[in-house]
Amino acid sequence: MNPLPIVWANLRRNPFTTVLFVGVVALAVALGIAISAQERALRQGSARAADRFDLIVAAPGSPTDVLLSVVYLDPTAVELLPPDVSAGVLNHPRAAIAAPIGFGDNIEGDPVVGTISAFVEHLSGGLADGRPFTAINEAVVGALSPHAIGETLHVAHGEGSFGGADADAAADSLDHDHDHADDHDEAEHAHGDHADLVVVGRMQPTGTPWDRAVVVPIEYNWLAHDLPIGHAAGETRIGPPFDPAALPGVPAIVVKPVDVATAYGLRGEYRTAQSTAFFPAEVLVELYAVLGDVARVMSALTFAAQALVIAAILAGVVAILDLQRQRFAVLRALGAPPAFVFATAWLYVAFIVVVGSAIGLLLGWAAAGLVSQLVAGETGVAMSASIGATEVGLVLAIVATGLVLATLPALLIYRRPVVHGLRQ
Amino acid sequence: MPGLPLRVTGLRLQLGSVPTVDLAELALEPGTLTVLFGPSGAGKSTLLYLLSGLLVPDEGSVFWGGTDLAALGERQRDRWRGTQAGFVFQNFHLIDELTPLDNVRVTTLFAPRGAAGGKARARELLEQLRVPLDRSRTALLSRGEQQRVAIARALLGDPPVLFADEPTASLDRAAGQQVAKILRDAATIDGRTVVAASHDPDVVALADTVVTLDHGQPASIRSGVPA
Repeated sequence: MNPLPIVWANLRRNPFTTVLFVGVVALAVALGIAISAQERALRQGSARAADRFDLIVAAPGSPTDVLLSVVYLDPTAVELLPPDVSAGVLNHPRAAIAAPIGFGDNIEGDPVVGTISAFVEHLSGGLADGRPFTAINEAVVGALSPHAIGETLHVAHGEGSFGGADADAAADSLDHDHDHADDHDEAEHAHGDHADLVVVGRMQPTGTPWDRAVVVPIEYNWLAHDLPIGHAAGETRIGPPFDPAALPGVPAIVVKPVDVATAYGLRGEYRTAQSTAFFPAEVLVELYAVLGDVARVMSALTFAAQALVIAAILAGVVAILDLQRQRFAVLRALGAPPAFVFATAWLYVAFIVVVGSAIGLLLGWAAAGLVSQLVAGETGVAMSASIGATEVGLVLAIVATGLVLATLPALLIYRRPVVHGLRQ
Repeated sequence: MPGLPLRVTGLRLQLGSVPTVDLAELALEPGTLTVLFGPSGAGKSTLLYLLSGLLVPDEGSVFWGGTDLAALGERQRDRWRGTQAGFVFQNFHLIDELTPLDNVRVTTLFAPRGAAGGKARARELLEQLRVPLDRSRTALLSRGEQQRVAIARALLGDPPVLFADEPTASLDRAAGQQVAKILRDAATIDGRTVVAASHDPDVVALADTVVTLDHGQPASIRSGVPA
């Protein structure tokens, strides 16, 4: 028994309808696949981006805001850690790296982030090109930054531009009086002249918004905001150790503890009235829980939409098969057993469901990839949408449902009296 | 293809308030062409469906040799039609999307292995019936050619019985005469039992037996040498 030539003939008999049905199934499946794959890509991308930010210490407040600022360089105003707490964290003996993070400036829209070179190398896994910054007016750029090594950069401070001051002026201003700046925060900049930057190195890709950043010594950032620069007057070096007496408040400090036990110890130690400490994963898990709830609701809606689509297609298929009932009756008159007619009708629907689902899987994957690219371009978080077991399972569920439901029109055709069809 | 006679006894089928078919006795011998004649609604097609096992009578029997087709189950009647009978319809009922050759071979898709005839036999039948073999779609053939494809399809398995339901009603006179001649030859030359429901005088003229029906009952049964 080989019903395939008849199935193929039936599909060719109404090519527009066949293409329409396959297209509708494909779109319904693609919607589900795209949502599922994109949601996972978002989780994986955001988790990967936070990988190298072991422990974050910040002022009490929303850890989510701090995470968005530090990892994803979202321009959110955050409170500053008090200088004495900052000093304790930055000079903590159990911290392999304690990197202050400072924001507020940009170059042609790309963020200028202040930190220490050890953290840059930690985040980047070694530089791709050039060398770490060793002077206050040097910068290392992210892997996707358009700026080349050796290029001189003019920094825009907040909404305004601070171009024009040269590196010597910046160096001279290291002697600035720091006493007045302790109560500054990110929203209240004391704008002052500062030096142009020279790019000396380029980071490896990190899959984070840091790939587009211009990373400078934290001292440059403090200086630009007329803050104490963490070192005693007259000292020209950059980086740790910092002088507790010359430290301003900082938005956040990323700590790489010497071991896991220390990580938990520091987290507990800095969860006080003056500070908070958290692992990025903790915040992400909370965000994912919300994201997961949204995804579940969307998945349920999508599944309902897919069920409706399949039901609508079945109704259409019943109508089409009804138009072909004379053909089925003739086959019966020629001696075809009912099973042959059932198989022919069932395979007709199965073809539409299976081919539509397969195309939908590819379309969904492509759509998720496109959305990932758009989101990555918007956020700087590298994402790659992929088809996983969840999506394959979803498609298999749709196909299985479709194949089971396909028996309905097949049964209707199978049970129709032959003579009625012949007399149509 | 040694045929067996088809014999009807006490056949009765009532679809409404009035009996649709009421036939006490009828014998259809191999090598003969029997025409079921009468106006529309006389019960010609219904009797044809009863004889072929597509309909089951309320009463009576249709014997194929010693087998009562009316007593068989649906699957067994399907099998009987698939192996012992061919069917020709008024509107051909070919599958337009297939080639003429594939249309002739369509019964091979569900017939028991070897029962329906091979590709060479299908080609031979089309050549005998003068159907062009080079058409990619059956719909490209003339109506007369399409009916000849349908006859070739019915003859592929070399069935001993051939049923034809108004086989010339959709054709012009010349094409109808050709088809009538083919049916006559299927009986005379091939020795088949050929039963045709028709009100075409050209078919009636070639019949060995003409059963004239009126409201499902035989008004007359005329046997004799065809003209």
